[in-house]
Amino acid sequence: MSFSFGFFWESLADLAPYALVNLQLGAIAFVLAVTCGTLLTIVRSFKIAPVNMVIGVFISFVRGTPLIIQIFLCFYALPSAGIDMGPMTAGIVAIALNSAVFISELQRGSLRALAVGQLEAATALGLSPLLIWAKVILPQLFRRIVPMLLNEATIVVKGTALLSIITVVELLRAAQQIGAADFRPFEPLVGAALYFLVINLVLATATERVERKIAAERR
Amino acid sequence: MGFDPNVVLDYWPQFLEGAALTVRIVAVALVGGLILAAIITAASFVRFAPLKALIMVYLAVVRGIPFIIIVFLVHYGMPFAGIRLPALTTGTIALTLFASAYYAEVLRATGLALPQGQWDSARAVGMSPGEAVRHVIVPQILRPSLPPLTNYTMTMTKESSVLSAITVGELTYQGLVVQGNTFAPFEVFFVVAGIYWIIPALIARATLALERKLGMEENAPGTLSPLARRYLVLDRRER
Repeated sequence: MSFSFGFFWESLADLAPYALVNLQLGAIAFVLAVTCGTLLTIVRSFKIAPVNMVIGVFISFVRGTPLIIQIFLCFYALPSAGIDMGPMTAGIVAIALNSAVFISELQRGSLRALAVGQLEAATALGLSPLLIWAKVILPQLFRRIVPMLLNEATIVVKGTALLSIITVVELLRAAQQIGAADFRPFEPLVGAALYFLVINLVLATATERVERKIAAERR
Repeated sequence: MGFDPNVVLDYWPQFLEGAALTVRIVAVALVGGLILAAIITAASFVRFAPLKALIMVYLAVVRGIPFIIIVFLVHYGMPFAGIRLPALTTGTIALTLFASAYYAEVLRATGLALPQGQWDSARAVGMSPGEAVRHVIVPQILRPSLPPLTNYTMTMTKESSVLSAITVGELTYQGLVVQGNTFAPFEVFFVVAGIYWIIPALIARATLALERKLGMEENAPGTLSPLARRYLVLDRRER
């Protein structure tokens, strides 16, 4: 058996709409992740001991276990707790929660690098803690972590391929279906890989640009 | 909904078997990945443009596509080259390739951060290129690389769960089999998750021991003002 370029181009065309599915799934999960991750960071900063303990266990669990298992827990196990979301929603929730934890952790690291002077000024002016977060800390924090967030976005997009296992029809599953119909699994897989590669190369290029821009502004 | 402990009690040999295979696969990919990464890193410092381009493409491809697709590509691609191997072998190869790309990125970054003078002065005092690499370059690359290498090993351990998709009988696959027999997804996946949870902790321990041995414990951080402590620190115990 040899590589059939004709079939490869054909499946590449057939896969195009599914690339959009992965992009959409990734975008929704990523927006959710940034929102939840930031909220998690703010809640953690209040340092309420029992709350932080629960969050700490959750973070350790998410970071210590495979994303696949988390997807299985959301898809197979949550319905027996009365939460039945369907494969697509369950998958998005799993990926978003996973990424939220990683985003909160990278925010934790970057927080330490912020200057204290502005905090002192804001406190002297009598701003409430939530206002300080919204107006002083978060704008500076997000400027710093844009490259890391873009990197996290590529991880989220790659994670959407795992949803094929719980029957979401996206690039990988569509490629498998095309391959099964023609008994040629390899060519459509290369096609799916190519789409992921393009998406991630675009994100990687954006990351580099932002990094250069930030480096230039710091000078 | 309650937690049915019978699932764990009846099927623990199967979970254990899966966990053992996961550890074995990861160990092989760790060694293979490190060797491959060392070769890639060394090759990337050779001044030969096509070789450099090839390495860049390899790194971009392995890091740019989801691991599950790498697994399927290796699994279905090998027969094209006339090689038929069991899923366990193709899966381990896929994980090794995955690890090599991330390890190589770490080693390359620390290698590039090393001042040129280190190499020049090693050569100037009469070391051969081989001696310079062994006594001057490698020790200096190894120490700062250790924490990120550990991180990627943990990532790799978690990614090995993807091999269940090509029926490699590792921990996740055994979990799916038990779940098929018992219809107890909650119990099964919590047990599986629990076992996975332990493995990175063990890896972290091993690294810590290695770091102590290499004498590279972290320096104590400076003190923080109360305001910084209030907003910029998320944990009470953090200094």
